[in-house]
Order: sequence, then C-alpha cells, then structure tokens
Amino acid sequence: MTARSPVITGLGIITAPGCGVAEVWSALRAGQSGLGALTLFPSPRYGQSPIAEVRGDLLALGAPVHGSRTDRLVWLAAREAIESAQLRDFDGERAGVSLGGSTGGSFDSERFLTTLIKTGKLRPRPTRFHECANATDLVADSFGFYGPGVTVATACSSGALSIATAADMIVAGAADVMLAGGGDSVSRMTWGGFHSLMLVDAQGCRPFDVARAGMSLGEGAAILVVEEEQFARRRGATILARLSGWGASCDAFHATAPHPEGSGAVAAMRAALRRANLTPAAIDYVNAHGTGTRDNDLAEGKALKTVFGDRVPPFSSTKRFFGHSLGASGAIEAVVCVAALRHQELPANPGFSDVDPAIGLTPVTEFQPARLRHVMSNSFGFGGNNAVLIISQPDTPAPPVPATVQPIVVTGVGVVCAPGVSDYQIKPPLPPATVPAFVCGEFAGPGELDPMQRRRASRLGQMTLVAAKRCGPATANTAVAIGTGLGCVGEAAQFIENMIAKDEGEPMPARFINSVHNVPAGLIGMAMGARGFNSAPTCREISFEVALWQGCDQLATGSADAALVGGADELGKYYVTFAGRWGLWKNAARPGEGATVVRLAPGGPGLARVTAVRLGRYRRPFDVGREAAWIAETIDLKQVEVLMTGAGGWPVLDEHYTAVAGQLGLPQQTYKQLCGDHYSASAFGFAQAVELVRGGCRGVVLYTLSVSGGKAVCCVQP
Amino acid sequence: MDQLVTDLKSRIIETLKLQDITPGQIDENAPLFGSGLGLDSIDALELVVMLEKHYGIVIKDIEEGRPAFASVHALAEFIRAKQPTK
Repeated sequence: MTARSPVITGLGIITAPGCGVAEVWSALRAGQSGLGALTLFPSPRYGQSPIAEVRGDLLALGAPVHGSRTDRLVWLAAREAIESAQLRDFDGERAGVSLGGSTGGSFDSERFLTTLIKTGKLRPRPTRFHECANATDLVADSFGFYGPGVTVATACSSGALSIATAADMIVAGAADVMLAGGGDSVSRMTWGGFHSLMLVDAQGCRPFDVARAGMSLGEGAAILVVEEEQFARRRGATILARLSGWGASCDAFHATAPHPEGSGAVAAMRAALRRANLTPAAIDYVNAHGTGTRDNDLAEGKALKTVFGDRVPPFSSTKRFFGHSLGASGAIEAVVCVAALRHQELPANPGFSDVDPAIGLTPVTEFQPARLRHVMSNSFGFGGNNAVLIISQPDTPAPPVPATVQPIVVTGVGVVCAPGVSDYQIKPPLPPATVPAFVCGEFAGPGELDPMQRRRASRLGQMTLVAAKRCGPATANTAVAIGTGLGCVGEAAQFIENMIAKDEGEPMPARFINSVHNVPAGLIGMAMGARGFNSAPTCREISFEVALWQGCDQLATGSADAALVGGADELGKYYVTFAGRWGLWKNAARPGEGATVVRLAPGGPGLARVTAVRLGRYRRPFDVGREAAWIAETIDLKQVEVLMTGAGGWPVLDEHYTAVAGQLGLPQQTYKQLCGDHYSASAFGFAQAVELVRGGCRGVVLYTLSVSGGKAVCCVQP
Repeated sequence: MDQLVTDLKSRIIETLKLQDITPGQIDENAPLFGSGLGLDSIDALELVVMLEKHYGIVIKDIEEGRPAFASVHALAEFIRAKQPTK
C-alpha cells in the first residue's frame, strides 16, 4: 500500500493588500502594502498606528450574514479555495476542516460590550459568534465537510498548526481532503493588547531592520485545500504543491518573549525538515515569521543561523504587506509560499533598509525570480508556540511516513474540579445575579503552584497546570494539547471591559497576555519543561477529544515520547448569563468549570488503553441510526459495556444521547452531574471512564456531541 | 525616609500583586528586574501603566523606561526628573 501523503490542490485568501490569490500576488509583485488607517472602530489612544484592514463590504462579496467578521473572512477564503481545487461531488464524510484562529468573534462581541458599558443596554446577539470554532462549523456546514472539524488557537502560530494538523489527519487516514488554514479579524482586544505591550511600530513594521520597533496588526483569512495525493490524482485534481514537512514545538521559556537563542524555533524547523526527509541545504526560501518586534526578529535570525549555518537561504517577512493577522498569518504565508513555488518568484521584505548587526542577515529586498523546489514557512506565537511548514514542488518525491505505534496507554490522570454546587456571582457590568454552579474555588494544594505562577498565571492556566502536575512529570519531548471551549474568559473579559470603559486608558498588559487560548498548554510546557508539540484546540464540546486525537497521533507517529492531553474551561459571567437565557441547563444540570489532564504513553504499563479516537460531524436533522452506525463501525461494541455521554448541557443533545444509547443497546452514564457543564467537561468524562475500567469495566465508549454539529467518539479499555 | 520611595514600594507591591512581600522587604537600591524581586518584562509594562495612572508620566518606548526600572531609587529619581513641581 502506498503511504498517504498530503498535497495542496486549492488556495483561497482575503487580506488587506488583496482579495484572491491573483490579486495578492500582484500586490506582492508591485510592492503594495495593505497598511493604512484604522477605520473599523474608534481608538482614542492608539488611532495613529497603521493597520492592515480588509477593505470593502464582505457581505457584498457573498459572505454569510450569520457570522462574525472573522467567520465571513474565512468563508470567503474557503469558497475561493474550493473553487480553485475544483472540488465537487466529494464524499462529505471523508472531508474535514482544520482552522486556526486567535480572536474568533471578538470584534463582534466587543460591540455588545461597548453598548453594555456605555449605555447599560443588554444586546447579546453579536456574542453568538464569539467562539473561534464558529468559523470551522460555518464552513463545514456551508460546504458539506462532515469529517473531522478542528479549530486550534495557539495565538500567532494557529494558522500554521492547523495546516500541520490537517496533514496529520490526511496521513492518519482520518480524512481524504481537508480545508486547512485560518482567519482572524481586527479586534479592539488585540489592537489595545499589542499596544499595551508596546509592540506596535508607529511607522509600520520593519521586519529585520536595525531600527525596527514592533509589529503592525492586520486581518484576513487564508485556506488551503489539502488532499491525500492518491485521492487528488484519482479525481484528476491539479496538484499545486506538496505539503512535505511540518513540525511544532514549545519554547517552554516565557509567556510572550521568545527564547533568546530561538531554541524552540530551531526545534520546530528541524522537526519539519526531519518530517520532509530534507537537509537544511535543500530549502530554497524561508518565509519568516518576522513580526518586526525587537525580540522575535533577533531570536528568529539566530535560529535561522543555527539551522542553516552560514548558508541561510533567501528569506523574507511579508508582514508589512499583510500586517500581522495572528491566527491567519501562518495560513496567509503558506499561500504565499505555494504561490512563490508556482510562479518561481520571491516576495520581498518591505520595511527593511539596514542590517541589524545583532542579526547579521539581509532579507530579500526586491521581488525577484528564483529557482524554488522546497520552501519553508515559520510561525511563532505567544506561549512559546512554534509551527513550521515545508512546501515543495509537486514533482518532488513524497517523504516517507513514520511507522505507527499502538496502543496508546493512559499512565496518569490529574483532575481539578469543583467540590460541589455553590453560588457563582455574576458581576457588573452585567446585572448582578447569583447562579448555582460547580465553582472550583481554591483548587491548588500546598506547593502545587510556585509564587510566580500564583502571581502571574491566569486562573485557567493555574487550574490546568495543577491538573497536569497531578499526572506525574513530563519529559522534554512531551507533546501537550489542552482543549478549551472559551479559554481564559476571566482575563479576557477584564482586559476588554477595562479597555472599553476607560477608552483605552490604563490598559492591563498582563491580562492581555493571559487572554490567549493557549495559556494552559503554554504554561504546562514552560512549568514542566515539555518542549514538544504544543496545541490548544478550541472546538466547543469536543475540544478535549481533539486534544486527545492530537496527543495520540503524536505518540502513534513517534513524534513525542509522552503526551499530556486535557480539557479546561472556567466559568465566565457572560456565557453563564446568556447561555442560561438561551436554554442551556434547562434539564437541571448546572454550569461548571474544571481542568482534567491525562498523561499518555506509546505502549507499556498503564491505567487503561485508548483504543479509538474519531472525530466528525453529525447532520441535521439528527439521524439516530446513522450516528449509532458511525460509532459501531469505529468501535467493537462487543468489547464495551458503557456509553459515557455529555448529557446535561443542551437539552436537545440529551435526547440525541439517549436515542443513540438505546440504538446501540448500551447503558448510558453521564458526568456533568459531577463536574458541571462546560465545553471541555468530556475531559472529566474521560477520567471517569478510566476509573470505570480500573474498577473492572470491560470498556467504555466516550461519546460527545457539540451543539454546533461536531461529534467525537473514543474508547477506553483495560 | 523618602515619602516617594515609600509610596512607590507600596504601589509596586499592589500593581504586581507581590502578596508575600512587605514594603520594608524591598531594598530601594536593589535591582527590580532579573535578580532582586525577580520581575520580568511584563511587570515592566504593568509599571509603565502604574506610572501613568499615579504620576501622569507617559512612557512610549519601553527602552526609554529601562534606566528608570533599575531600582526603586532610580524610579523615584526618574519621577522627580519628569515632575519637577512635585
């Protein structure tokens, strides 16, 4: 059997300098930057800095009304990508979506908050598209992609990590075709946040220049159609490029600052080269992360010299064209790399004029023709999160696929959960109220957090770190994947409420840093010295299962020697208030919070085995027979005794769970009555399944549905 | 004792949530960052906000503030230089 290999067959992009691949390439050729004045919201304090906004009416371009600005950008890029791949009449079950995002619907949620804080009026409609996962769900349903639907939120590396995840899914056989990429719109949150960190260059970013003084923000989306090579050939698709290598790592150094020697960047570049079976000398061009901040460009320059020695290939940062569009950047730059290969031309590095002696490297200064076979794209993010892609000409040989290791074994379980139901206080600017909920309260035992972690880490980060430490120690090559539905909502809310109430005065830089979804995963990497793959999936109710899939895949492919996977969410006053009003927890369940982390190893002794993990989407109306069959074809039902479900959240899902359990003839057990309802509660359910198996149960199926169409099933056996 | 130095110690503890430290434990001549209190670049940003809020001093470039953050004493001198009337 031929090894499964990912290739790229379609591209879509929407950014400030251009909408569509052809327009973007013309802009790069002509040297037209997308930087301009901020128009999307008023900014009394920072309004003079340039920004790369997507101009024009997204609705007029055909974007759906029902979605956030980010969702619309992503949808438009996805439409172009699907059209360019001429992808039609495909089997939706074998087609998935893997997107990266960082702010999701923040731009729209902020409109609600501005109205609330400035006028006292409660108009929560715009918050309905808040989650980063919304774009993934929208695109999947719109275009009929019913395979795995994944969203990763590892800050500025999200757009590259999502493409790496798509590649992993293709190789593992989880899908034959994936829409992969990312999107992020401008938001007050990131605009105020990066200014509060003093990381914005008032003159526009000048990557690698000696006088560089920070980044420029941007927005946009880019989507690639990534397919299994034989699948693409069979349907007669034009293969634009081969996705030959991908690698991820964690600096395990600092929440925002890169490792000064770029050690994590080096590790990710080398992991991608290893995967692609290439030596550094084979790389003909590097699209650098090159944000223009003092620290990033210096660390990246050092990393390039470490990887490539004195033969650093031509490289450029295209950030001054696009702005830094956070979760979209890695995807935008991957599209740039494919276009560079297709045209055999290199984009320039606008903003650069003088070499920084501390870096000692000169980027490509003019758009120029070049002979390109293999190109590399770097993306680095907060939390020390690094992802690197290698994209090659279609006629290059497919790299070998690693042999897979089975089974995956659970070697530790760590749980932080509420002792029971207590009063959760809803605080202003919302109307004050008391809601019964599973509140974690004081969760850390003596010595479980050091003074710096207590002082600085976000509450969600602390919860997750305590849970992770309870699993036992980590090795340097431990992969970390922590799913979270809403991320650090406490920190994010305080930052943006303050920003709006004080018209950008007295910002809270530490809270901004703590607002990203990958705080828990990054903190575990830093505190436990785990420098391997690091991911923060955010996929509503199946966030944990996506983390589990990623951790198992890292182990199965030999990319890591242990994995810490988990789920974590904290109570957020806005979510509790509005979800309650919209009908959640009608069936007597309560909102809750908690963090569960499990340690996985590739074989050996353990508490239980993970014998299956599968992700997908259900169709509406919900078809019980079809869904039961999906589970039955994944798991040998003769080997299991219990169906563990996420009942106790949305009432409509409770009906589906009960019907599927009946169809399968399995008794249903639930866990939300113990830990409360939150997006990542199934991580707690997984811990319960491990307990059942240790107590003598022959096998447990953990089955989880998300309210927006995602589904996941996994199997725990002795 | 210099009142500004005393005030600054309290404000630093409050701003940076240094719960286990009292003003008396901070040596006004010891380095604030790296060694000493062990603060980092994010603490520096929080102190920038504190300086603006309480002393009306706007720092636009973190490099500009670097000498001021050498110690509590240096910070007091920096504030006096920027606020000749106080």
